[in-house]
Amino acid sequence: MTSTLADTSRSAARKPIDWWRWSGRVFLLFLLIFTVLPMAWMVLTSLKSQFAAMQYPPQWWPAEPTLENYRKLLDPSNSVGHEFLQYFWNSLYVSVATTILGVVVAVPAAYAFSRFRFPGRTFLFFAVLVRNMFPAVVFLMPLFLLMRRLGLVGTHTSLILTYLTFGLPLSIWLLKGFYDNIPIQLEQAARIDGATRFQAFYMIVLPLSSPGIIATSIFSFIGAWNEYVYAVTFLNNKDKLTLPVGIQRYFTEFATDWPGLMAATFLMSVPVVVLFLVLQKYFVRALTEGAVKS
Amino acid sequence: MAQVVLREVVKTYGNLYAVNHVSLTVEDGEFVALVGPSGCGKTTTLNLVAGLMPISGGDIYIGDTLVNDLDPKDRDIAMVFQNYALYPNKTVFQNLAFPLKMRKLAKPDIERKVMEAAKVLDIVHLLKRLPRELSGGQQQRVALGRALVRDPKVFLMDEPLSNLDAKLRVQMRSELKRFQRDLSATVIYVTHDQLEAVTMADKMAVMSGGVLQQYDSPAQVFDNPVNTFVASFVGSPAMSLVPLTAVTRGTDMSLQSPEGWNLSLSPANARKALSASSDKIVLGARHSTVRLHKQASPGAVPGKVYTVEPTGDITFVQVYLGAAVVVVSLEPSVAISPDEPVWIEFDQNKMHLFDGETTMALKAA
Repeated sequence: MTSTLADTSRSAARKPIDWWRWSGRVFLLFLLIFTVLPMAWMVLTSLKSQFAAMQYPPQWWPAEPTLENYRKLLDPSNSVGHEFLQYFWNSLYVSVATTILGVVVAVPAAYAFSRFRFPGRTFLFFAVLVRNMFPAVVFLMPLFLLMRRLGLVGTHTSLILTYLTFGLPLSIWLLKGFYDNIPIQLEQAARIDGATRFQAFYMIVLPLSSPGIIATSIFSFIGAWNEYVYAVTFLNNKDKLTLPVGIQRYFTEFATDWPGLMAATFLMSVPVVVLFLVLQKYFVRALTEGAVKS
Repeated sequence: MAQVVLREVVKTYGNLYAVNHVSLTVEDGEFVALVGPSGCGKTTTLNLVAGLMPISGGDIYIGDTLVNDLDPKDRDIAMVFQNYALYPNKTVFQNLAFPLKMRKLAKPDIERKVMEAAKVLDIVHLLKRLPRELSGGQQQRVALGRALVRDPKVFLMDEPLSNLDAKLRVQMRSELKRFQRDLSATVIYVTHDQLEAVTMADKMAVMSGGVLQQYDSPAQVFDNPVNTFVASFVGSPAMSLVPLTAVTRGTDMSLQSPEGWNLSLSPANARKALSASSDKIVLGARHSTVRLHKQASPGAVPGKVYTVEPTGDITFVQVYLGAAVVVVSLEPSVAISPDEPVWIEFDQNKMHLFDGETTMALKAA
């Protein structure tokens, strides 16, 4: 049916289709340049010496590529490397903690929203969303005051709590959609086959929702990893800074060390890219699941 | 296997009665079909027996045990779902083994029982596959197998055949019936297809609007429907129903149509009509009990052919009697065409009379 339709329309409407296709390709190419060029420039600059980076007209290709910047950053024995690795560790700690706690809270919450009918269910579900209708900065002062009251200012806990409140709504929504797509009969079958309600969830539903859990984990990890405004407000101790803040503060304090900054930025993007490459299979599945009936 | 008893079972959602005081007994080894149109409460009733939703009132017994507050896992039941509900991330073997594993059987016992069930269902060669690698019919067998591996007190089946194509459905229908007979299993079987119920069940429970309308053998339900709903639901094509008005002239009683024709009633039918709560009577007739004449004939009433549906060995003709449609079956050799004027003769001994107000079947007073 569709093939015959395509066959008849192909000869008649060949040109308009190609025109659209080509303009689409040009657009995508432009988009690709737009996104890749800054990153390429970042990598190229990170391989230059301080002197080479400041040249005008710029060296498009580093004349004497050097890994010196990376060596400096990754060597804990010098002060720059020591601080960078400290920030990296801080960021990793905050992001991983946010991700794990987020999953621990979002999975049961999403499951409950998807499966149970309880008083206030709709209200709660949309209340969760209301948070996302305001820009994050709006909550900066109230949260800061709250954290001061709680004695958490300057701690990583304050950041983890804040990131959780930002990341959870999206995680819960995404996971709820996922649980909605898992037929309830699977759990019912498991319960009849001898499982308790929790076993049915744990043994049948949870493995099926792992792509969704992975996708939400990536979301919350990236969110926490890249966050700047709250980190710069809540943290005052230099040892506690996360990467975005640390990089910004440290490298602009004196004359900016552009190659060093670029090397640090590159290293900062490595975990996200790796995470994405390793898990992208699940990620894509999570976002397209339910599009076709299995 | 065991008996299942429902006593005044109620399930409400707010003010809505999804299941309204349903009482019925499924005897040990009996195959009972719950039938009705969608939304009639049949699946809800099954889920209440399974324990998948809490009961709002009444009692359910499986064997001698009151199961009202028991978890599904403690009711010793097996269930086959319409969409099969096979665990997608488990192989066929693991699917079949799951109920046994959850009941903590030893590994050799699990393997032996799974192999037994797989042999019976002829799915041994599929044991290593995942459900998504199976055809619909194979998935259906696996779902059945998962119920068969255990020796539960009762099998619950929720439209297990309705996702199969027509040919396979007919085949599985007889196989299922055979399994039930061989195991002398107690089965509660939900279907919207009255034909499945009639062909497979020892007894059928016809439901509508959450209320159990009639609970009897298929033959009884077919021959003596208690009300117009059951009459029009059971049988294919359905019983034709013609709303008429009872008129008494001296000792004779007849049914009058809005168009003006009269149909005199036999004495037995007249007594039935007299017991009605008003003069509104609904005449019911199965297609096989109605005769069609091409000329006016005594006792026959005039109508007009609407459609002619040849099915091969029988031709169904729909005839308009005023606003009501009457289905007549004819030999395929009879030549007849739409819009032809015809005369319809009802068999006084086989016609059904229903109270026009209460819809209940009328009995001789």
